[in-house]
Amino acid sequence: MTAAQRAATSRAGVGEPLLTVRDLVVRFRTHDTVVYAVNGVTFDVAGGETVGLVGESGCGKSVTNLAIMRLLAKPAGRIEGGSVVFDGQDLVKMPEQDVREIRGRDVAMIFQDPMTSLNPVLTIEEQLTETLRAHKQVTKESARARAIELLSLVGIPKPETRLSSFPHQFSGGMRQRVMIAMALALEPRLLIADEPTTALDVTIQAQVLELIRDLTQNLGTAVILITHDLGVVAGMTQRINVMYAGFIVEAGLTTDIFAKPSHPYTVGLLHSIPRIDGSDEPLIPIEGAPPNQRVAPVGCPFAPRCQWRLERCASENPVLEAVDSGSVTVLTGATATHRVACFNPPTPEEAAAGRPLREQGSRA
Amino acid sequence: MTTSPTPMILVEERASRGLWGDAFVRLRRNKPAIVGVVCIILFVVVALFAPVLAPFDPNKTGLGPSFAPPSREHLAGLDKLGRDELSRVIYGARISLFVGIISVTIGLTIGGILGALAGGAGGKTDTIVMRFVDVMLAVPGILLAIGIVAWLGQGLPQIMLAVAITNAPIFARILRGSLLGLREAEFVTVSRSMGADGRRLLLRHMLPNALTALIVAATLALATAIIDVAGLGFLGLGPPDPSIAEWGTMLTDSTEALRRAPWLIFAPGIAIVISAIGFNLLGDGLRESLDPRLKR
Amino acid sequence: MLKYIVRRLIGAIPVLFGLSIILFAFIHLLPGDPAATILGQHAKPELVAQMRARLGLDLPLWQQYLNYLADLAHGNLGNSFVNNRPVLGEFIVRFPGTIELTIAAMIYSVGLGIPLGRFAARHYQTLSDGAVTVLSLVGISIPIFVLGLTLQYIFAVQLHWLPATGRIDGHLNVPSVTNFMLIDTIIAKDPAAFIDALRHLILPAIALGSIPLAIITRITRASVLDVANEDYVRTARAKGLKEKRVDSRHIMRNAWLPVVTVIGLQFGGLLGGAVITETVFAWNGVGKWVVEAIEAHDYFVIQSSILLFAFIFLVVNLLVDIMYAFLNPRIRYA
Repeated sequence: MTAAQRAATSRAGVGEPLLTVRDLVVRFRTHDTVVYAVNGVTFDVAGGETVGLVGESGCGKSVTNLAIMRLLAKPAGRIEGGSVVFDGQDLVKMPEQDVREIRGRDVAMIFQDPMTSLNPVLTIEEQLTETLRAHKQVTKESARARAIELLSLVGIPKPETRLSSFPHQFSGGMRQRVMIAMALALEPRLLIADEPTTALDVTIQAQVLELIRDLTQNLGTAVILITHDLGVVAGMTQRINVMYAGFIVEAGLTTDIFAKPSHPYTVGLLHSIPRIDGSDEPLIPIEGAPPNQRVAPVGCPFAPRCQWRLERCASENPVLEAVDSGSVTVLTGATATHRVACFNPPTPEEAAAGRPLREQGSRA
Repeated sequence: MTTSPTPMILVEERASRGLWGDAFVRLRRNKPAIVGVVCIILFVVVALFAPVLAPFDPNKTGLGPSFAPPSREHLAGLDKLGRDELSRVIYGARISLFVGIISVTIGLTIGGILGALAGGAGGKTDTIVMRFVDVMLAVPGILLAIGIVAWLGQGLPQIMLAVAITNAPIFARILRGSLLGLREAEFVTVSRSMGADGRRLLLRHMLPNALTALIVAATLALATAIIDVAGLGFLGLGPPDPSIAEWGTMLTDSTEALRRAPWLIFAPGIAIVISAIGFNLLGDGLRESLDPRLKR
Repeated sequence: MLKYIVRRLIGAIPVLFGLSIILFAFIHLLPGDPAATILGQHAKPELVAQMRARLGLDLPLWQQYLNYLADLAHGNLGNSFVNNRPVLGEFIVRFPGTIELTIAAMIYSVGLGIPLGRFAARHYQTLSDGAVTVLSLVGISIPIFVLGLTLQYIFAVQLHWLPATGRIDGHLNVPSVTNFMLIDTIIAKDPAAFIDALRHLILPAIALGSIPLAIITRITRASVLDVANEDYVRTARAKGLKEKRVDSRHIMRNAWLPVVTVIGLQFGGLLGGAVITETVFAWNGVGKWVVEAIEAHDYFVIQSSILLFAFIFLVVNLLVDIMYAFLNPRIRYA
C-alpha cells in the first residue's frame, strides 16, 4: 500500500488528528527510586504537520516519544497513565504484537547518535532490507532495489556500491541519512525525530534537516521533532510544545511563541541564545538547575527558578490555557491556539526584556 | 533584577559520600558479597586463632587407627598417620592465608613495577615490557607455576613466588592502562595549557580508578592464589616437610583412601572452597559497587 | 583481513623468542650444576663430565642458545631421562589424550555456558538470574582436584555409574592408531569400546570444564546485557522487527564477540587444568606425564612440554583472533 492508500483507509476520520496524546504519565521505577519523567502530557499531531518538542535534557521529551512507540526500557520504564491514540487505536492498551506491526510501518523513529544507532556487524543492505521484509512480503531482489532507491533518495552517492558497507565506514552525516532512509522505507504516516542533528557537525546539520523536511513534505509524513535547539525548531516546525520537567508549559504556533513567549521558561530560553541580528542585549542565563525528578512534583515545576513566581506557584500547578482568553481552543494546524501554563505570565514588554519589570510577587 | 530567586527547594540530591562511601552502601545491599565477607572472616579467624581452635596438635600422630571415621572426638576423622584431620585443616588455614596474602602482595609488587615502567615511560619501554608480560601470559597459568617450582625446587617460598609471577601480569596491565591514560591526558593538558589544576584533577580521577581496579583484581587474585597453592600442593610440589599441614598436600595424601575415608577429601576440600568463595564473592561485589556506571 | 593475520603472526614471533630464551635459561640457570642436578648427587665425576659435554655446558652461553634454537628447529627437544626417548615423540603420543579431554571439557563448558548466560541475561535481576550468578561464582571457587575427587567419590565409588580412572577399560584391547581413544574405537569398529571410552570421558571433562563453564556463563550474561542496552537494539525494535530477530541478529551477533575471545583464553586454562585433571583421573595425557617428570627431575620433558603448550596456546589464540576479526567487521575493515 502506498502512503496515500493507507491514508485513505485509515481509521481516523477526516479532519481528526493523526496522533492524540492525552495525560500521558511515565515513571521509571528501580528498587529504591522513582523517577517522575513525564507528568501528564497532552498534545496532538495532525497529518502532515511538523511539531517541535523543545526542552532541555531530562525534561522528558525523549521519554514521551519512546513511550508513544512503547520502546521504554523495561522493566524500569512504565506508562502509568493516559492514552496515546494513533489512527483511532490506543497504543498504550494495544498488545505488543500489534504495536510491533505499527512500528516502522506507520510510525518510525530516528535517534540522536548515528554512531551507536546502527548495528556495527550488519551491512547497510541488511539493515535497510530487514525493515522492508519484516512488514511486507518482498523478494530479496526487490528489497535490494528499494534499498538502492532509498539511499539515493537521501542523497548517498553511488548507492549500489555502498550497500555492502558497514556503518563504521560511513561518516556521521551519512549514517544519519541511512537512518532516515531506514525510517522512511515504508513511508510511515508519522516520523519521530529525536535530536536528529545534535551529534552532527553544524554544516551537516543543515543538510540533514533540509533532507528531513523535503522528504516528509513529499510523503506527507507528520513529524515530531525533538530538540533542545531553538534554532532547529525555528526553521523546521509549524508548531512547538515547550516541555519542562515532564510537563508541557507552553504550546502554539512557532511564530506565535517566538514573537510572544508567554512562559517564564520560554522567555529564559530565548534570552539565553546569542542573537546574530545585531542587538546588543546581554545574555541572561536561567539561574538554578532543573528539579530533582525523583520527588513527586508539587506545584509549578519551574517555580524555584522563576522570576515571575507567585506564592501560589509553590503549591498549585497551572494548566495550559489560552494566552488570549476567550478564543476557541484549536490544538493543531495553522490556527492552533497559543497556550501557556502559568499563573503569572510575563507581559510582552517583560518577554522582550527577559526579566520582570514590576515587583516580584505581583501580578500584571 | 530586583531580588534573587529563592533557594532551590526542589533540587535536593542524596549527598554523595564519595566513591568509597557510595560503594560501601551498595556493597551492603549485595547479599552474595555479604556472604563472601562472612566466609572471609571465618577463614581469617580460623587462621589467626588456630592454636586456640584446633582440638589437637596437628602433627601428633597415632591418636587412633589410621583413616578413622569422624567421631565426636575427631570431627573430621583421622588421616593416614592417625593425626586429627580437623586440626590439620584448621592449621592449614594459616598456611593458605599466609601464602595467599604474600603471593598476591609479591604479585602486586612485580606487576606494579612492570606496569609502572610500561605506562610511565611509554614508547619503547612500554613495548618491551608488555612483550615480556605477553610471554608470561603465553604459558597457561598453572603450567607457569609448575615450571617455576620445578626450576626452583619445591617448598612454600617457591610456591609463593610461582603464584606471584602467575598473577603479576594482570596487575601490570591494569596499572599500565591507567598510567597510559594519564599520560595521554597529560599531553592534552600541556597542549591545552590547562595548567597545574588540570593535572591535579586527572590525578584525582585516574589514580583512584586504577586503585579500585587493582583492589578488585587483588581480591579475586587472592581466591585464585588459594586455589593455585592448593593445586600445586596437590601435585606434590608443596612443602616437603610433612608436618606442615597444607590443604593441597593433604588432599594428595588422601586420594589413595578415597574409598575408605572420603571425609579426608571433604574436610580440606570444603575449606578450600569456602575460602575461595569468600574472596570471589567479595571481589565480584566490590567490582559491581565500585563501578561508577549506575546503569545496572 | 590478510594484513591483519600477517600482523598478528609477526607479533607472535617475539613472544615465541622470549619464551625460548626463558625456557633455555630454565635448564642452564638451574641452581647448581645442571649436569650434576640431572644425574643426581651421587653420580660419578666422569659421568657428570660426560653429561656436561653432552649438554654443551662448556660452550659460551650464546652458542648454547643458538644450538638450542637449532635443535628446536629440527624438532630435537632432548631426550627424557626416564626412558631416554626423544621428548617430541613422547609428546606426540600422549598429546591426543590431552586434546580429547580438553575438547570434551570445552564442549561441556561452551555448550552449557552460553545458553545459561543468555538465560540469566534474559531473566535479569530475577531469582533465576541471581541463582545463576551465585552458582557461577561458586563454580569458579571449586578447584579441579576437589571437584574431580568429589565426582569420583559420588559417581564411581558410591553410585558405580561411571568409571573412576583411566581412558578406557583395561580389558578392552583397542589398538592405538591415532591415540584419540574415541577415534581409535571407531577405527576398530568396536561400538562397545566407543561407549566405554565415552563413559570414561565424562567425569574428567566435567571436572576440567566447570571453571570455564562458570566463566563463560558470566561473560555471556554480561555481554548480552551490555549489548541489549545498546542504541542499535532500540533502533531494531523501532523498526518493528520481531523480538526473535532482534535477539538473534542484533543482540547475539554482537554479544558473541567478547565471548569468543574469552573462550580462546579459557583454552589456556584448560591446558593447564588438564595437568591436574589427568593426575586425579589417571588419564594418560601430557599432563600426567609432566607431573611424573617433575617428580623424576626430568627437566627436558618439563621444559619442552611448557614450550609446546605455550606454542599451542599461541596458535589457538591466533585462530581465535582471526575468527574474531571475521565476526567483527570493524576489525576486518580497519
